[in-house]
Amino acid sequence: MTSTSATTNGFSVQRILNSAGIGIALLALVVFFSVYTEHFLTAANLTNILTQVTINLALAVGMTFVILIGGIDLSVGSVLALAATVAGMAITLPGISPTSAILLAMLAAVIAGSVCGVANGVISAHWRLPSFIITLGMLNIARGAALTASNAQTIYSFPPAFNAFGSAQIAGIPLVFAVVLLLVGIAWFVLTRTVFGRMIYAIGSNEEAVRLAGHPVFRYKVAAFTICGLTAGIAAIIYMARLNISSPIAGIGFELNAIAAVIIGGTSLNGGRGSVIGTLIGAFIIGVLANGLILLGLTDFMRQMITGIVIIVAVILDHYRAKLSAS
Amino acid sequence: MTTHPYILATGVGREDILAVDNLGKSFGGVRALNGVSFALRQGEVHALVGENGAGKSTLIKILSGAFRADSGTILLSGVPYTPSSPRDAKGCGLQVVHQEFNLLPDLTVAENICFEDFPRTKLGLLDRTAMNAKARTALDTIGLTDVNVRWPISRLGIAQRQLVEIARSLQSHSRILILDEPTATLTQRETVRLFGIIGDIRAQGVTVVFVTHHLDEVFAICDRVTVFRSGETVITQDIAQTTPAEVVRHMVGRELQAEMSTDATGRSPGAVALELRRLQTMPSRDAAGVSLLLRYGEILGIAGLVGAGRTELLRAIFGVDPARSGTVLRDGIELVVRAPVDAIAAGIGFVTEDRKDEGLILSMPIAANVSLASMDKVSAKGILLAKQEAEIAKKGGARLHLKYGRIEDLVSSLSGGNQQKVVLAKWLERGPRVLMLDEPTRGVDVGAKAEIYTILRGLADQGVALLIVSSELPELMALSDRIIVLADHQIRGELARPHFSAERILQLAYNQH
Repeated sequence: MTSTSATTNGFSVQRILNSAGIGIALLALVVFFSVYTEHFLTAANLTNILTQVTINLALAVGMTFVILIGGIDLSVGSVLALAATVAGMAITLPGISPTSAILLAMLAAVIAGSVCGVANGVISAHWRLPSFIITLGMLNIARGAALTASNAQTIYSFPPAFNAFGSAQIAGIPLVFAVVLLLVGIAWFVLTRTVFGRMIYAIGSNEEAVRLAGHPVFRYKVAAFTICGLTAGIAAIIYMARLNISSPIAGIGFELNAIAAVIIGGTSLNGGRGSVIGTLIGAFIIGVLANGLILLGLTDFMRQMITGIVIIVAVILDHYRAKLSAS
Repeated sequence: MTTHPYILATGVGREDILAVDNLGKSFGGVRALNGVSFALRQGEVHALVGENGAGKSTLIKILSGAFRADSGTILLSGVPYTPSSPRDAKGCGLQVVHQEFNLLPDLTVAENICFEDFPRTKLGLLDRTAMNAKARTALDTIGLTDVNVRWPISRLGIAQRQLVEIARSLQSHSRILILDEPTATLTQRETVRLFGIIGDIRAQGVTVVFVTHHLDEVFAICDRVTVFRSGETVITQDIAQTTPAEVVRHMVGRELQAEMSTDATGRSPGAVALELRRLQTMPSRDAAGVSLLLRYGEILGIAGLVGAGRTELLRAIFGVDPARSGTVLRDGIELVVRAPVDAIAAGIGFVTEDRKDEGLILSMPIAANVSLASMDKVSAKGILLAKQEAEIAKKGGARLHLKYGRIEDLVSSLSGGNQQKVVLAKWLERGPRVLMLDEPTRGVDVGAKAEIYTILRGLADQGVALLIVSSELPELMALSDRIIVLADHQIRGELARPHFSAERILQLAYNQH
């Protein structure tokens, strides 16, 4: 296993140890909260954590692709809101069957997200502009579009089947979490086992070498941003199904949590290095911290401070990791 | 050559201000300096000349405190001198004006000139009036009266920037000023102006070291010249007692003459593989461009100094930086190259000069680097086939005698020579019919060099057309069937193998016909 992943995508033994490193950190958190709080290690609370992690994880999966190519996507929170608004309008269309309405809404959310992603990718890759700025622009565009389209009104009264999807559980595991876990699995396969994934890593490490080897760098970059928009669309569907509303002010600040999950998961902001498994663990570290710290009796404000410290520590650790692999 | 009129016959001090003795420096296994000895006299203009890679830049970096020498001694005014940083060197009165500018483009001329020591008011605030006055004086001193000190640097042309850089370095009251190819970006008129400034500086008793590729400049303004060859200093001569031809002879050297063989390679080139018609990579007044023919089974060498347009030519053919005008024909058919993918589709491969930035993905395994240009061979329907990839990499590695631990090791763990072999393996895997190589053995140790030569000759024997750019003349002369010499983005001459001579090549490269 070790050698296969090494030949496919630049995972050395050292790198596996590194991702094990954050896995150990997560485990330590779980043990700590299990010992020091009464309710952490209960079935209901664990289900609760899975539900809370789901949306951030969905966004972080797409974000991993963008950060791996050396980009960033600040627009995912707003894109989620836009996709949710469009889907909310589709699902409440009068005169169609609930099944068609649900399918139409899902399609609408995914398309809306992808279109925003394509725009981010095409503009930043074609003019070689920093994606930081382009997606900051998209953050405003998508939010404004969501508010305009919805008239700044929250949309609700969805078909019961749709709301049931949001609260369904299989053996304590929320269905929506299972869906996102499947997404992680697909992303892992794409990143480690396909030519496309190889190119994502290669572009993040040395774009010029990839271009000189005759590969269409532009297309791969656009694809990475499109995937990020697509997962924002999927996150929008989950958001609607869970809360049974679609709000144009949904998802404010979600982009920062998604980026934090990716970075804590060991993916380098410079691109080329990291994994979606790391992102999975990173999202859980944020989720477990949020849940556990509240159970410990800390305020939400203190939780924010601690999450911030964790992000900074993760980046400092990443700095040493980069040095280690460079030497 | 006559002495330049600007050089005044002020009494040049006879005592040595700087004495360098037997300096040595290695990078990895490559010896960059191998016994460099010379002395600077107080108040002289001293030229350092030599081929690309002869050791001039390394020496300057040691003198300016960027590198530390491995062995040898430097005495500055009789005291041992081992600068630990450029700042330290400046403190000792030694200043380098680099080819790459160190100016901050968005700050004003005055801010740049005073950057190391801003004048302050009593309150500790920036004293703009004093700063602008100081900068004005500095510019006037070197005759740059037409530049406003309040302008941002970005408003100036390259030549003016160069002069501002010189004005800035004069601020620190250096005893020794090292100018690294200061005329490379200047026009004739500005060069004359610079020479005037150098004359003035010299008249103030400052010692000037002048690094250049232009021998006529050496003979126009310098008092003495030191010739570098393969990391050694060959000779220091008074300009009055030597000639450009003699300096070129020293640059070439005896052992090099003996090393080269003009025997025929035994290859008989076939049909024309690649033709360039007036290919232009730079806007130029004499717009001849480069026209050449490359045949199958032939190694065509391209010689020339840094900046002669060799790399630009290869990059234009490969579609990395599009040519400004001209035509490329492949097998007699016009080839339109918009991006490297078009060149690759036409059977062209390109081993770039800079393997770390353009050739390799250092954070990836050897296998992934070998397969980078042949993803179709190591995948099915977009899914990677790890076994095929490892096999291809192992086969490619064996063919080039690649030394590695495991094929999944990171390519960054390999030595320079083996990294270069990985780049070669990447292109050979595509079976190119035309292979272009830019500095194929840069940073490669002697053993691996010989192996790479054997590989390249073998390719030519198999009918591949090779276009090789190299700054190492022995390398070019050993490999090539023909050599074309470039200078100023133009072909200055072509030599067939029986007529190879390092002296002739350098004469053409230096424009000394």
